[in-house]
Amino acid sequence: MEIRAHMVSAGTAEGEAVVYKGPFSFLGDLDPATGKVPVPRHQLEGHVLANKVFVFTTGKGSSGGDFAAWVAKKNGNAPAAMICLESEPVLSGAVIVTGIPTVDKPEKDVFELIHTGDYIKVDATKGIIEVVGK
Amino acid sequence: MQLTNEEKRMKAGEYGPGTQRAMDLLVKYGDSFDAEQFAPISYGHISYDFCPEEFWNLMTEGVGKTPHRVTTHPSYSPEVWKQWGLSLADNWAGEHERKLKRFLELGWLRTETCAEYLLGIMPRKGDIVSMGGSCMQVANNSLFGARVDRMGILISLAAAVCGRTPLMGLLVPENRFASHMVELEDLDVSNWTIAHYHCLGYYIGDQVPGFKPVAVNGLPPNLPFDFARALVISMPTSGSVTLGHIVGTTPEAPTLEAALGGKKPEHVIRVGKREMTQTWERLNVWDDNTVEHVAFGCPHATIDEIGRIAALVEGKKLKASLLIGASAPVEALARRQGWADIIEKAGGHFEPVCPSITNPFTRPDIAGKNQAKSAATDSARSAHYLATVSGVKVFFGTEEECVNAAITGRWKGEVPRWK
Repeated sequence: MEIRAHMVSAGTAEGEAVVYKGPFSFLGDLDPATGKVPVPRHQLEGHVLANKVFVFTTGKGSSGGDFAAWVAKKNGNAPAAMICLESEPVLSGAVIVTGIPTVDKPEKDVFELIHTGDYIKVDATKGIIEVVGK
Repeated sequence: MQLTNEEKRMKAGEYGPGTQRAMDLLVKYGDSFDAEQFAPISYGHISYDFCPEEFWNLMTEGVGKTPHRVTTHPSYSPEVWKQWGLSLADNWAGEHERKLKRFLELGWLRTETCAEYLLGIMPRKGDIVSMGGSCMQVANNSLFGARVDRMGILISLAAAVCGRTPLMGLLVPENRFASHMVELEDLDVSNWTIAHYHCLGYYIGDQVPGFKPVAVNGLPPNLPFDFARALVISMPTSGSVTLGHIVGTTPEAPTLEAALGGKKPEHVIRVGKREMTQTWERLNVWDDNTVEHVAFGCPHATIDEIGRIAALVEGKKLKASLLIGASAPVEALARRQGWADIIEKAGGHFEPVCPSITNPFTRPDIAGKNQAKSAATDSARSAHYLATVSGVKVFFGTEEECVNAAITGRWKGEVPRWK
């Protein structure tokens, strides 16, 4: 199944999906040393985001999100690709600077169609999300 | 994006590799938001200490002195940290010194503060400024009516190098009207302090999705500057609000209608005693009442704030370490007043550092074995970052409660009885 979307940051990547119906900040929500979500009581606490295809709503928080993304990427602990409903400047800057393939504004309901653990291919340059399946 | 001939030359590398890389990033960034052109900036604001050295070198390679002013965010002082006995200070010295040297070669201004308006460096209404640091983004947008878009620390360096930023978001006047409106329900604000306004701002930031402009209605007109500042700067801590109009106080909100652009708000957020109590309690994260550190100056302290603290600590000996984040010029004025000496004699410290995200006393990767494990503050923004970045226990209360905690080493603060 294919879902069309809008390119935020070019490139292609694939991997297992992690789906979270909420906003995300690279500063605070991703431990650059482990690639996991470190936030106590967070729905994804302890989940690995490194090298996954992360599906979420939008960006949030500090303008330091981009330097946090840079450190995570250098450590090999950034997501492989990102899919969100609507990006915002700090998140877009972060994925463009670090080269993480990212799309937003998907034309179908990604929270309905993609589940944590599904295998996903993202061609951000062409604006195509492919849901391969479990 | 449509580029001017000058911008095409930047992208082609005629101004060197740093400018070329910066322009390449800005074009991709602008394209992702369907921006059609760039806007020249009145000035740019960056953070060299928050910027990873590799990225800093990539962006500044071959860049000459810029024709526009560039200023900087709170900085690190590894040499001073060492004097304070913070055992891992040395780890921070080399990179800091290399980037600072390059920063000065570029002719950029070492303001090192998140409150440049206290130095007389402030935008006029309508000026376009590119900047990293969400607390001065929201202050310049809201309190002075400058046009500042939400932007990350790294992109702000690219914008400062090129002297332009994509024309989009909050730079566009019609995007600046509030879509969300805040109504105060059963609150009498006549005895409120800075901490109360921080608490209100923190609650609002959490309630507004994305970075939609918000208008706060129902506060007394011409709210004192320190109160207005506290209210707006805590909004982008719990959320991403980058423009907060205060009806009757801020320049784009002489009336509610003006703030809303004559339209009906998409959402109304109601705040009363219950929401304020819950937020105040949420900002307090502690079990026993031992206070090892007190942090003031988030955002960087005003001279009035320093004067009040000096009066409270005069002749006392502090049990907890006390840090006042302040720019060098404001500290210099406090010294001329005699207030800096009073505070230092009591055991307090001044530094142009961010007392929240990189507080040297609470950060385990700076203080090492001397890390303070608990900290008190009257800033909701500071409370948030001390808890999440340093991972220490946090006491949130009024300025007076915080100074008392510094003197006694014990927290006696209470949740306010709202009127």
